[in-house]
Amino acid sequence: MRTCVFILILKAALAMALGTTGTSHQGFTVNAQQKPETAEVKIDNFSFAPGTLTVPVGTMVTWTNRDDIPHTVVSTDGAFKSKVLDTDEKFSFTFSKAGSYPYFCSIHPKMTGKVIVQ
Amino acid sequence: MKRMHEKKKDELLYDHNHDGIDRRGFLKCMAWAGTGAFCVMKGGVLKSYSLSSFSDLNAAEAKGELSFVQISDSHMGFNKPANPDVAGTLKAAVDKINALPGTPEFMLHTGDISHLSKPEEFDTVDQVLKSAAPKEVFYVPGEHDVLNDDGKQFLERYGRGSKGAGWYSFDKKGVHFIGLVNVMNLKAGGLGTLGHDQLEWMEDDVKHLKHSTPIVVFAHIPLWSVYPQWGWGTQDSAQALAYLRKFGSVTVLNGHIHQTMQKVEGNVTFHTAASTAFPQPQPGKADSPGPLKVPAEQLRSVLGITRVNYVQGQHALAVVDSTLA
Repeated sequence: MRTCVFILILKAALAMALGTTGTSHQGFTVNAQQKPETAEVKIDNFSFAPGTLTVPVGTMVTWTNRDDIPHTVVSTDGAFKSKVLDTDEKFSFTFSKAGSYPYFCSIHPKMTGKVIVQ
Repeated sequence: MKRMHEKKKDELLYDHNHDGIDRRGFLKCMAWAGTGAFCVMKGGVLKSYSLSSFSDLNAAEAKGELSFVQISDSHMGFNKPANPDVAGTLKAAVDKINALPGTPEFMLHTGDISHLSKPEEFDTVDQVLKSAAPKEVFYVPGEHDVLNDDGKQFLERYGRGSKGAGWYSFDKKGVHFIGLVNVMNLKAGGLGTLGHDQLEWMEDDVKHLKHSTPIVVFAHIPLWSVYPQWGWGTQDSAQALAYLRKFGSVTVLNGHIHQTMQKVEGNVTFHTAASTAFPQPQPGKADSPGPLKVPAEQLRSVLGITRVNYVQGQHALAVVDSTLA
């Protein structure tokens, strides 16, 4: 119980330290001044959009499934793997190394995409 | 139901004996869910009737000595348009099965039992199927049944006594049934996959069977190339079919595409069953294979079950689709 209270206080302190920006990246932010880069991939009509996404190192990419059918986001070479995403569910992965990351939906393998990290 | 009486479709004939009647081509009859088709194979010749001429067949032809039912793609847990009640339509399918003249001996479920591989989804299907007159059910997994755990739960529930990822074979009244798994280890950009181990097992499984043994193969994803652009095919199915070339009568039953479709090629009759949950578009007729949204009053006319009858001695295997309407 005491631990919980302590965490709450810490969170409040952190929020104050971050100022009034009120962004939702506190869980990932170590340095309060540097907002991490983010990028989005939408899953619509059994395809990833954009199909190829180019981002700087350190970017957190979030996939959102907007189909009526569940999909997954699975790296071809094992770098990342989502659980199954039902409608409107999201999966995020932060790319900390440069490179090319092809991925696909393991349920509908015709669905493929790529993240290029520079 | 109304459409069944609108017109009588032509009877189609196909030569299985390669005696020169129709050597070149294959018959491709596409029975869009809601119209239905009925196929009887006799003396190596397959006859296909639309359901409008179903009443022309005599009772013995329609019933057969071995009768079973295929259901598919119950997608328990799906709750979006066009079907917010997939448990209700599965119950309707069971009612349909229970109303058939003569109880089928068993059921085949060709996968996508659940929508998200959740235990409660499988539980609901098990519960609904308990009220079906045929008590024995044989399953193969769809890709929706093996999410997150590489099919561990599926094997625990339905795969007792099976090999590998859940493949197996059994015999009923002289007919050899082979249940295959083509939804595991799918590769980026690829189609359904059987894999080396399963193919090797299958080759061995059929090696000692007589050429006259009727074969029924069932798997989730079609074992023929329905529409590869949407992943509707199995990349190494040609190898599996090669092992079956020596047999006079091979019937392949699949699900996955949520619509009935048939093709006859050589000694093999391919057939896909309708879903009990929601329809999907005809190949290439939509931007994606996502659920086809139909008006509520039409839903049951595009869902259905498939009954298969085998008449011993007559070398006949009949496949009958009926909708839930």
